Amino acid sequence: MLNDLQLNNILEDFDVAYWKINLLTREISWSEHFNHLIGDPDPGNNKLEYFLEHVLHKDYRYDFREHFEDLVARHKPFTAEVRLKLENGKYRWFECRNLKSREKGLTDAAVLLFVNIHQAKRDQYTIEENFFYYRETAEMTSTGGWYLDVKTNVVYWDNVTKKILDCPIDYEPNPDDRLRFYAPDQREKVENLFKKCSVFGIPFKVELKMLSLHKREFWVRATGKPVYNEEQEIIGIRGVYQDIDEQKTNELNLQNSLDIIASQNSRLFNFAHIVSHQLRSHSSNLSLISQLLNEARSPEDKLELINNIGDISENLEEAIKQLNNMVTRQLSLRKKRQNVSFKEALDVVIASISSLIKRENAEIIAEFDKLNEINYISEYLESILLNLITNAIKYKQRGRKPIIYVQTYTENGDSYLEVSDNGMGIDLDEYGDKMFGMYKTFHRHPEAKGIGLFITKNQVETMGGSISVTSTVNIGTTFKIKF
Amino acid sequence: MEHPVELACIIDDDRIYVNLVKKIIEIKKLSKNLIIFKNGKEALDYFRSILENLSEEQLPDIIFLDLNMPVMDGWEFLGEFVKIKNNFNKKITLYVVSSSIDPRDLERAKSFNMVTDYLIKPIELKKFEKIFDRDVA
Repeated sequence: MLNDLQLNNILEDFDVAYWKINLLTREISWSEHFNHLIGDPDPGNNKLEYFLEHVLHKDYRYDFREHFEDLVARHKPFTAEVRLKLENGKYRWFECRNLKSREKGLTDAAVLLFVNIHQAKRDQYTIEENFFYYRETAEMTSTGGWYLDVKTNVVYWDNVTKKILDCPIDYEPNPDDRLRFYAPDQREKVENLFKKCSVFGIPFKVELKMLSLHKREFWVRATGKPVYNEEQEIIGIRGVYQDIDEQKTNELNLQNSLDIIASQNSRLFNFAHIVSHQLRSHSSNLSLISQLLNEARSPEDKLELINNIGDISENLEEAIKQLNNMVTRQLSLRKKRQNVSFKEALDVVIASISSLIKRENAEIIAEFDKLNEINYISEYLESILLNLITNAIKYKQRGRKPIIYVQTYTENGDSYLEVSDNGMGIDLDEYGDKMFGMYKTFHRHPEAKGIGLFITKNQVETMGGSISVTSTVNIGTTFKIKF
Repeated sequence: MEHPVELACIIDDDRIYVNLVKKIIEIKKLSKNLIIFKNGKEALDYFRSILENLSEEQLPDIIFLDLNMPVMDGWEFLGEFVKIKNNFNKKITLYVVSSSIDPRDLERAKSFNMVTDYLIKPIELKKFEKIFDRDVA
């Protein structure tokens, strides 16, 4: 058996202090180390009371007294974590525990050990605190962790990842079906990323479109980094998914709004240009005439000039009417969308140009089986059909009966209208980029006014769609509208 | 009185404007002869045929070019004309004449070396006279 001195030395080496309690007299003696820890005070006669009053943090007083009674009177084990005020006035964590006696039966003394656990306690708090921050951050930013074992292809997901993917907490990802959680158009890219990471150790940080368990598409930012074993072989990939669908959607919406504004702005520029050009050309002619009237000598000359004024005023009126039409069209945007039947719209158009159709012996074939109506403004749809069909008839191939094929369909969830003809066609290499500009005519044709396609494009775009054209000279033209 | 200019050329699709300018040139005796084209394509075809036939005497001394025209507008004409004009020995003065007051059009016109000036319609009678006099000087 160690004597007290030896025991004291050993315990002190381990920063362990102790009390020795005489169970009969309840007399307490403090080890030197204990005395030293609390600043060598003068505790007076009753060490327990001094300890409870001046050393032990007040939160633990009641419990400590209870434990102490249990130990002394009923020989129950004492174990507690307490905070003691040390000689520097600061509280530190100690584990307080009685030394179990090996001998069975009655003993006359008990030993109460005080082990400094402050560092461990602090570490534990730090870990808990860090874990708390990590968890809160992960929840708040919807960032989930995952791990892929590259040997077995087994995937581990944390709870946030499961939540992001709409999977229940007990969901276990199937290693063979990993790719089902990525949008089909992303799968090749994903496979490539994982391959490069698992084979060459190249980390990745990308934006990907994923599919939830219920096939909901959403955007994530994904990172992945290789995990090496001690032999420096890649054994896994570790990374996070961050749900950025909201940001990404906002970003796309913003881009969309920007595009709309840019296109509106360019239309406005174009319009201002037209106004300036159309009106100024007439006013400048008027100004020239008035100057010439002053110079003209013969009455015949003057009369001719005055006749010109009539022409100018007619042109001016026509120009203003056209500009007004354009403005009215823009304003009619405030009209409400409703379900418009393609057949009804086409019937209206055919009725309004029946004489042209008859004169040119044109044939119009319609096929609306795949998509028979659209949520649109009926005036727009009629105007679009009218422009494209009259265009097709006007620019027919000479000597060929004009046939116009109008069809609708859906593709990848988008609705389309196509108007094809067997007419003279347009050299798109030469005119392609100007097709839809204002006052562009490509044919030396008396009826070419150059405004129809501009208006059509305008209408399609104001409704959020787009129009494109394919054409072969002498074969025909197809206009394709995506609604 | 001698005409200051032998042959003037107008490329413009505005029938009324062309008639008025024709009248001015007649009344003021600014040019002995005048050729008129409705658009850039017609004018370009004419210049190309001169190049082929080596008939330089049919080249105008001065060209008034409109910008907004059907089939081939003034810009396209300039783009094509730049490529062939160095084959001519004769000095040709070219004015862009447009009712557009868009500063971008002005800038663009001035980016062509061969464009002497950008004239905004309407052109004053006196300005016409000055242009023709300057051209001959």
